[in-house]
Amino acid sequence: MTITVLKPGLETTVQDYPGRVGMLRNGVPPSGPLDDWSFRLANLLVGNDPGMAALECQFVGPTVRFEQAALIGICGGNLSPKLDSVPIPMWTSLRAKAGQVLSLGGAVGGARAYLAVAGGIDVPIVMGSRSTYVTARLGGIEGRSLAAGRTLAVGQPSVVVGAGRSVLSAHRPPLSNGGIHQISVVPGPKHDWVTSAGHQQFYATGWKLTSRSNRVGFRIQGEQIEFSHRAYEKDPENGDHPSNIIDIGYPIGGINWAGETPIILMHDCITLGGFIVPFTVPSGEFWKLAQARPREVLRFAPVSVEEAQEVRRGIDEICSQRSIED
Amino acid sequence: MIYSELEISPAGDRHLLATLGDDASLEANFITLHFTAELDKLAIVGLTDLIPSYNSILIQYDFNLLDFYDLCGELIRIYNALPSSSELEIASRLVTIPVLYFDPWTKDCIDDYRIKVAEREYDPLFVARVNNLRSPEEVVARHSGGEHWVVTVSSFPGLPILRPLDPRCGLLSPKYNPPRMWTPVGAIGVGGTSTSIYTIPSPGGYNLIGRTPIPVWDPSQALSAFKDNAILLRASDRVRFAPISREQYDDIENSVREGSYAYAIQPGMFSVKSYRTWLAMLAAGEAAEDRLSP
Repeated sequence: MTITVLKPGLETTVQDYPGRVGMLRNGVPPSGPLDDWSFRLANLLVGNDPGMAALECQFVGPTVRFEQAALIGICGGNLSPKLDSVPIPMWTSLRAKAGQVLSLGGAVGGARAYLAVAGGIDVPIVMGSRSTYVTARLGGIEGRSLAAGRTLAVGQPSVVVGAGRSVLSAHRPPLSNGGIHQISVVPGPKHDWVTSAGHQQFYATGWKLTSRSNRVGFRIQGEQIEFSHRAYEKDPENGDHPSNIIDIGYPIGGINWAGETPIILMHDCITLGGFIVPFTVPSGEFWKLAQARPREVLRFAPVSVEEAQEVRRGIDEICSQRSIED
Repeated sequence: MIYSELEISPAGDRHLLATLGDDASLEANFITLHFTAELDKLAIVGLTDLIPSYNSILIQYDFNLLDFYDLCGELIRIYNALPSSSELEIASRLVTIPVLYFDPWTKDCIDDYRIKVAEREYDPLFVARVNNLRSPEEVVARHSGGEHWVVTVSSFPGLPILRPLDPRCGLLSPKYNPPRMWTPVGAIGVGGTSTSIYTIPSPGGYNLIGRTPIPVWDPSQALSAFKDNAILLRASDRVRFAPISREQYDDIENSVREGSYAYAIQPGMFSVKSYRTWLAMLAAGEAAEDRLSP
């Protein structure tokens, strides 16, 4: 079973979940879908294991032709999917016949949609994962985003399910309206490089997501926050800028104060660097970031480690068969 | 300063940062890497990955298997039980990296930057000048004159950050500002007091002084040196840079392509005590050997 790419979309990549695990110490980030909630539900719809390889479609989706019949499911941001030019529902499994053309357009709600095909996208496993890491040309289709004319192989489904299955409405990630996203952060590491007034500034500010945001990092624009004495009274080997530190391993989700513009470290980020990370977006909040659009506003509020873990557990429970109704 | 108590800070829901000291000295890194080796040995269930750096370790864990506070307690217990730094013996392989210094490819890259971004001195001349050396050849003599320590492998896949173990091999140079948009794979860069080897065609800020024909990152794991791991150099390895000619560069490049290149890797241990003794002898002018032999 193969799929032919007619139009690639803006930056469509093959991803699997949870991506490359245990490779951080080799300098390799995990990659994988930014919104793993929608991603896993798309796979579950078509009878796949929740982590199987599928397509992440960003802002403008691809147009593809199914060379054989396929069961597909699309979840996440609304990229107005159409099958042979007829609008089709998201969050629902449906059958594409051989020769039919699926097109995803520009995002009208959210930013990223996930297209799962029963059997999963079959690309070679590189360092434990099929996920594409474009920076180092790893995984996916030769480490790149889709290009017109390429074909994608699809695996043999191990479980056969039917069309018309859907994700329970209450179990879909609630896409924000009004363009404001409330995002929890866990203070740390290096939270003490910012004064308590600086923390309050950070939480009180509406941070605008800039267009210079991608799978490596999301740049956000807001106010200069106040750094503590640690940022100024330090050994020169930390670096010149107040936000410079002796290199640390970077957590995914870390809000990285690289000079003036903070960057939220996403799934394809560098794994080590010399800028402070005073706050970290926990994994259970990533679906919100993934569906935020440039110029929309992010507002942050602190949570404890346990609260962040509880949210994550809740999402993991949702990403199971119990969210799918026949 | 090495902290008597481990400093731990959360980093979201599934990472934490453990910091062991407040400086970027080799001594702080020796303890950090010994701590890392202890964690590897203990294979704590639920500890899924870690990134050691100069004086800290970012730890990733699965909170369904490992409670945050239990992990903190465990890390503190292990840290407090570490031997004093003078007793540290760290597994450390010695890897020889052949380098064509002042190669044409990094020169092209520098020229490209000069045309497109900003005028600058040719990097080897710049590095020589800021280090008060008379010629780029003295840069080579210094850089290839002793062993370098792999502090960490990070930022980009397989990218090592090296510091000289032999103080006579040290070079100090400010990094590019603004950074380069691209760097050839295999480029040898120096910046601050560190050396690195570029593994992917990434942006970068280190001054370029040469290029190696041998991969230090092989995601296909086709070459035998990469059988167990896609990265050649690991934190706590030691590196010697061996100057080669253009002819040797081409020969080595061919043998890499044919899969017949034999990497020069010697297993060994690194004793912090012997290293300190050697440093003291060096300072007293008693170490005649040009190479490190702990």
